[in-house]
Amino acid sequence: MEESSKRSEQRKEMEKERKKGEKKRRKEEEEEEEEILIFNHKSAEKEKEDEDLSDSEDSVFSGLEDSGSDSEDDDDDDEDLKVDQNLSQQVKKEEEDVQSSLKKKDEEEEVKRDEYEHDSSDEEDIRNTVGNIPMEWYKDFPHIGYDLDGKKIYKPIRNKDELDDFLDKMENPDYWRTVQDKQTGSDVVLSDEQVELVKRLQRGQFGDVNFNEYQPQVEFFTQEVMLHPVTNRPADKRSFIPSLLEKDKVSKLVHAIKMGWIKPRRDSRDDSRGRYYDLWASEDTSNLARHRMHLPAPKIPLPGHHESYNPPPEYLFTDEERALWEQQDPVDRKFPFVPRSFSSLRLVPAFPRFIHERFERCLDLYLCPRQRKMRVNVNPEDLIPKLPKPKDLQPFPTTQSLVYRGHSGLVRSISVSPSGQWLASGSDDGSVRFWEICSSRCLKTVQVGGAVKSVAWNPNPSVCLLAVALDSAVLILSPALADRQVVLSSDRLLSAPQEAEPIEGDGLVNWSDTEGEELNQGIRLKIQHPKAVQQVAWHTKGDYLASVMPDHSSHLQVLIHQVSRRRSQNPFRKNKGLVQSVSFHPIRPYFFVATQRSVRIYNLVKQDLTKKLHANSKWISSMAVHPGGDHVICGSYDCKLSWFDLDLSTKPYRMLRHHRKAVRSVAYHRLYPLFASAADDGSIIVCHGTVYNDLLQNPLIVPVKVLRGHVITHELGVLDVTFHPTQPWIFSSGADATIRLFT
Amino acid sequence: MSQLQARFFTENKKYVVDDVPFSIPAASEVQDLSNVINKLLEAKNASHTTVEFDFLVRGLFLRTQLSSHMETEGISTEDVVEIEYVERLTAPEPEECMMHDDWISSVAADSEWILTGSYDKTARIWSVEGKAVMTVAGHSDVVKDVAWVKRDGLTSLLLTASLDQTLLLWEWNSERNKVKARHCCRGHTGSVDTVATDPTGSKFCSGSWDKMLKIWSAVPTDEADEVEEPGDRPRKKQKTQQLGLTRTPLMTLSGHNEAVSSVLWCDSEEVCSASWDHTIRMWDVETGEMKTTLTGSKVFNCISYSPLCRRLASGSTDRHIRLWDPRTKDGSLVLLSLTSHTGWVTAVKWAPSHEHQLVSGSLDNLVKLWDTRSCKAPLYDLAAHEDKVFCVDWTESGLMLSGGADNKLYTYRSSACQMDVGA
Repeated sequence: MEESSKRSEQRKEMEKERKKGEKKRRKEEEEEEEEILIFNHKSAEKEKEDEDLSDSEDSVFSGLEDSGSDSEDDDDDDEDLKVDQNLSQQVKKEEEDVQSSLKKKDEEEEVKRDEYEHDSSDEEDIRNTVGNIPMEWYKDFPHIGYDLDGKKIYKPIRNKDELDDFLDKMENPDYWRTVQDKQTGSDVVLSDEQVELVKRLQRGQFGDVNFNEYQPQVEFFTQEVMLHPVTNRPADKRSFIPSLLEKDKVSKLVHAIKMGWIKPRRDSRDDSRGRYYDLWASEDTSNLARHRMHLPAPKIPLPGHHESYNPPPEYLFTDEERALWEQQDPVDRKFPFVPRSFSSLRLVPAFPRFIHERFERCLDLYLCPRQRKMRVNVNPEDLIPKLPKPKDLQPFPTTQSLVYRGHSGLVRSISVSPSGQWLASGSDDGSVRFWEICSSRCLKTVQVGGAVKSVAWNPNPSVCLLAVALDSAVLILSPALADRQVVLSSDRLLSAPQEAEPIEGDGLVNWSDTEGEELNQGIRLKIQHPKAVQQVAWHTKGDYLASVMPDHSSHLQVLIHQVSRRRSQNPFRKNKGLVQSVSFHPIRPYFFVATQRSVRIYNLVKQDLTKKLHANSKWISSMAVHPGGDHVICGSYDCKLSWFDLDLSTKPYRMLRHHRKAVRSVAYHRLYPLFASAADDGSIIVCHGTVYNDLLQNPLIVPVKVLRGHVITHELGVLDVTFHPTQPWIFSSGADATIRLFT
Repeated sequence: MSQLQARFFTENKKYVVDDVPFSIPAASEVQDLSNVINKLLEAKNASHTTVEFDFLVRGLFLRTQLSSHMETEGISTEDVVEIEYVERLTAPEPEECMMHDDWISSVAADSEWILTGSYDKTARIWSVEGKAVMTVAGHSDVVKDVAWVKRDGLTSLLLTASLDQTLLLWEWNSERNKVKARHCCRGHTGSVDTVATDPTGSKFCSGSWDKMLKIWSAVPTDEADEVEEPGDRPRKKQKTQQLGLTRTPLMTLSGHNEAVSSVLWCDSEEVCSASWDHTIRMWDVETGEMKTTLTGSKVFNCISYSPLCRRLASGSTDRHIRLWDPRTKDGSLVLLSLTSHTGWVTAVKWAPSHEHQLVSGSLDNLVKLWDTRSCKAPLYDLAAHEDKVFCVDWTESGLMLSGGADNKLYTYRSSACQMDVGA
């Protein structure tokens, strides 16, 4: 605002100065005009300019001064244009203008003499001075008014009667154009122009003949936005204020739409969808992709200085370079030619390698790739499945804690009591030893008189019995290492009344009570088998006992004994291969039989084969069943460990080949997700094996620890391995006559 | 060579030096500082004989160069360092070696007598000089733990816990050298692995493999408690087996999920037990309820409580000795881990007269003497045993004992220890 006011002030000052200058000039001009009374166009124009300027002076405060000056220019332009358009008219007009201006000049000069002498602006001649009154007031008077001198103007003598009038009408050719001037009462004969004017007015046309009512209209206010504003008037305040009226209207419309009185127009594009279709809808996108992946053909490298006919001397080969070039294989050469220098282009011989070079170029074009090959960038490490770190899978046994020494022969089999307090071991030195686990103290030694092949602690915690397999007998030992009640109940189990009637298989085995020295040692029962027994395995309930007598040629390889009733039976009628190991299912009535190549699972209730697992190994050595019962691991003499998921397949879910020698024993932990395998290379490999309840999730198997400690004797390393029932500890027995505990 | 400002102080009046800061080389080690102190003492007192000192910087033993020690402990070398010095504990030397016939499972020492339990099913009483006094035979299986109940005058009461699931309370007359089984404590259904007498001597607590803790009265009476014996048991056999009068437990504390390996009395009201189920539990004896549980990650073999520093030390199968604050209500807050053993820690014992020292025995044949102010390494390794160490003990007079699988019971004595006690 301040600025604008300042500007307007400045402008005022300027205007004032301009006025002053103007006045000066006028005075000068007036003085000059006395001398220069030569009337020419120029002076007239000057005059006119002055007038215009004075006009603009008047409009200083109207707020239109700029436009005023503009219009002044426009006027000039218009003037010029008119001159161009119809010159004659222009000339006439100018002359008139000149004359009128001259008149004005004269008038201005003679203002003091007679102001209204030739007042042409008033068209009426004031010969009658009665004024603008109804003339019938003078009807009864002889005069009609008064002239300028105050004398009566008499009416013309109207003595014409009807006849005269008629005659006049008949005879006077100008009768039709004679009218009576009511002001003076005299007859006036209209001139031709006047008649014409009357006619035109009667027709409703403009009085001026030259007036073109169809002139092209110059529209100032159009929708086109002009570069310069028509007016400099600032925008109205109301143009900034939202219109209340509009708001009212809009709100009414909105209300109407909301109430459903007005339905919005349906989208006209909807029906266009049906009318038009996508021409390229079925276009194969791979085609477009191919265009996108287009590779331009390789370009020929631009010639360098070497290829010039007269290269600078540094580009020419020295002798050494030349020798090197000649020695090099053509493929390895940096250039296929030797740069040579000629004094002029005329001397350059024909290019001997032209055909060859063209051919190579063609080859380049032919062999260059035209498509970008999407190479899968695979990091080989990404292909290895992500396994959790062993550190996160603790607890598992890591270090050797205790060594149980005392045996003198290789320890073939070990077993931990269900309470976790005692460890039983059977050795080739003909003894079974009982150890206190926490102190590695051998508390009891039982001489059984033969190499012990297998020991198995009864898994039932309410009895305390150990089955021992040696030679062709199975012994049941009661080590009396438990509570008195437990010892009593185990005694009761063994001394149950014998079945009288002969049962199938009774003839095969001989049950006998022991006496004397053997009884004192704790041997309570002896089950004499026809052949050498390799393995014994208890059922979880602790009443049934399976014994294995591997034999190629017989169907009598496995016997199941019921201890409480002292009876035995041979469950299989056919020989399906050399039986290596047997195991009871921990929960359900299934029986696992591992032969050389496969593991068979029998349903003991239905007495049929449920499943046959193919181990993909040459000779299965050992087998362990997961405490959940759905997974089986098998160790084999060809260094493999296979994990079977019984729900998944009869093929191994996972084969582990970590051992370098024959796997002798495998074991599952009862509580922790651990399993282990022992091999002749003297190592025990502990693996983490989480089994999920979710059937869709495969077991997670991670090898976590290699435990070493056993000394390899006679090419035999670790012979048996078993876990502690409650702690993440593992026991191993070896050919070096020791048992080791790893925690 | 950079120098440090150090001020020395001690609590032993005998070796006080002036309380002024000394400038000492930053790289000086224990021996250098010891020489400095000896020089100062000689200057003060011409008759001073050289004494080896140990130095504590902010409660931790100095074991390396002074500057590196301060760097690792984050102590500013700009200020004057306060260094405490104590007379150095000389290496405990094996004093006596008492041969047993079998492995020694447990030892309980008194100021006068030593009681040991052995795998030959007997307990033995020895004098501290190493003379065999008495053999207490009566158990039908290995004696797993022994404890003194009361020693007043010539008659003393002692306890033996055995693998045969019983505890025997014996009365021993030292003058006549006669031992008599007063009570046979029956009730456990597993081997009794640990026994502890309460501070008043009126009760004792036993822990067994059958996961139970039982509180018994330790007062000998002349009447047998009523026991419901199984009916089919031959009466005659029972009579012949019986040694002393049958006693039944006052209270049974059950809660552990695995075998109880060690038990002790924190005070006359509170029993603390360690178990194979990786927990240490506090029990209120009055109500028989469990108060708090400290959970570890490995099997606990042994615990010991020091009323001086009110800390619990535990030895476990992962080779660490851990110090616990038993008063914390929840969570397992291990205050300190002492790691140096390479086998299971089978025995741990706080010094009865020193609040920082403890001794531990392990399956790696070593007995180690620890000071909690030097937690990185033990003060001394006592490598006398040739086989597994099963038990350690410490008498009021500073005599350390250890027994193990090499049938030997060693006593150790440290010179400074004795002086401490004398002072």
